[in-house]
Amino acid sequence: MLSSKEYEEIFPALKRKINGHKLIYLDNAATTLRPKEVMDAVNEYSLNHHANVHRSTHTLAAEATQYYEDARSKVANFINAEAKEVIFTKGATESLNLIAYSVAVSNILQSDDEILISTIEHHANFVPWQQISKIFNLKIKYYSAKNGIFDLSDFLKHVTNKTKLVSITALSNVTGQLIPVNTLVKQLRNIRQDIIIVVDGAQAVPHMPIDVKNMDCDFLAFSGHKMLGPTGIGVLYGKRKYLNMMTPFLFGGEMIDKVSTDGTTFNVLPYKFEAGTPNVDGAVGLAKAIEILESIGMDNIQDHDKQLTLYALKKLKELDFLEVFGPQDETQQSIISFNIKGVHPHDVAHLLNDLTGVAIRSGHHCAQPLMKEFGTTATCRVSFYLYNEEEDVDKLCEGLKKVWEWLK
Amino acid sequence: MVEIGLEELYSDIILDYAKNERYKKEIKNAKKAEGKNLSCGDEITLYLKVEDNIIKEITFTGHGCIISQASASMMCEYLERKTVDEANKIFQEIIKMSQGKEFDKELVDGIEIFSDISKFPMRTKCFTLAWHTLDEALNGENV
Repeated sequence: MLSSKEYEEIFPALKRKINGHKLIYLDNAATTLRPKEVMDAVNEYSLNHHANVHRSTHTLAAEATQYYEDARSKVANFINAEAKEVIFTKGATESLNLIAYSVAVSNILQSDDEILISTIEHHANFVPWQQISKIFNLKIKYYSAKNGIFDLSDFLKHVTNKTKLVSITALSNVTGQLIPVNTLVKQLRNIRQDIIIVVDGAQAVPHMPIDVKNMDCDFLAFSGHKMLGPTGIGVLYGKRKYLNMMTPFLFGGEMIDKVSTDGTTFNVLPYKFEAGTPNVDGAVGLAKAIEILESIGMDNIQDHDKQLTLYALKKLKELDFLEVFGPQDETQQSIISFNIKGVHPHDVAHLLNDLTGVAIRSGHHCAQPLMKEFGTTATCRVSFYLYNEEEDVDKLCEGLKKVWEWLK
Repeated sequence: MVEIGLEELYSDIILDYAKNERYKKEIKNAKKAEGKNLSCGDEITLYLKVEDNIIKEITFTGHGCIISQASASMMCEYLERKTVDEANKIFQEIIKMSQGKEFDKELVDGIEIFSDISKFPMRTKCFTLAWHTLDEALNGENV
């Protein structure tokens, strides 16, 4: 890992002062800071090579297409998929909506089939399934994670011979609990080979090496902006056999084969799912972000985030005015949720920011079913990334003491 | 600079109002309106008894941060025995104040303690939650 001075050069925002205090950015689960190099790559593409992709035959069009498809290959390589299995979307939310709508409308899911999801999910992996099950009259089952902690053997008890699809986060965006997805997939395959397994990788992909072939999931969704990339670009990985079976989610230009008044046939993968002019800028930025992550090493990033999380858990537990949620052990990675007893998280986050320059998140984190498991409506959440260090945790703890003194 | 505003925002008066339970109760058979801040999960239910166009009784239930709770209890205290027309006028001035615009200090009265709220755009909706709920109760389609 690099030193904090080196990170300041890569991420200009780290040099910012907030009310005279150095910015300590601990809201990485929401979005990560932007490296200058990523924005430079986007600029260089937009200013010198920009054209529409896959359509025209002039030089700029050829270059733009090259940039876009190179980005796809970079993403495919990053998660060990085939380029044809990588579809660019707006973000993890759109990826999950695409899967939900498309598997339902293509009759891959039928009325007797059960969808199984859990109460630890982000709304993006909860609401689409719930709504799709309503619209298409499918059955949905919810696994309630006791105290907000996912338990694999408990979860598997909810699998029946009707379970057709399981959608699960690989890392909780509230507690930071790492779900043993590889083991889960193996066990599901042992129960029934043909259960469709969807993994929400929005929080996991930025923090650890992910190999979709090894994981053997059928779908994986993630966003660019949580892993140093721009907003508005995300990825849907899908096994070719399912993507071929699925009806497109959006219809329009580029995704078609032949169109006439008699009907329409669709383009091949992955273009079948990329209607309209795509976000080439975003793809270019994401490719550069992946380059940066790979140069540091996903294993190194995971080790760093794990150690920092354990350090933070130890330090936060020393503050007796805090209530910490989640498993609070080595299964937690990069994210911790807590509350100051009797104080609303908004007050904590606001005071921390203004008094100490520490940026954290407060709210329900788009995970209301999980808040219910905790018996609360909102929490404070800190989330780390590669540029955070132990000193940031120390400053957070000093800040929390100040806030507690102020409000107790 | 902002830190001075923060001191004022979390002044003893505001902290006292946030803890004040006097107006935190349900009124049976009252006019009711519900308000929510969807991003943070804060919720408030406002109860109003209006007779002869005068607010005879006004209370609230729900949960939220210090700013939203203090704002609600201060609002209830201030509007008790005001006419509906006065309450509407006060609401308009409160919203102007929360947006950092010129406002009628006489009408806003003691709520002026929140005049710094516009310096904290992320907290404006905490402060205005009770007031927007009041607007719903007085002028919206009520429950």
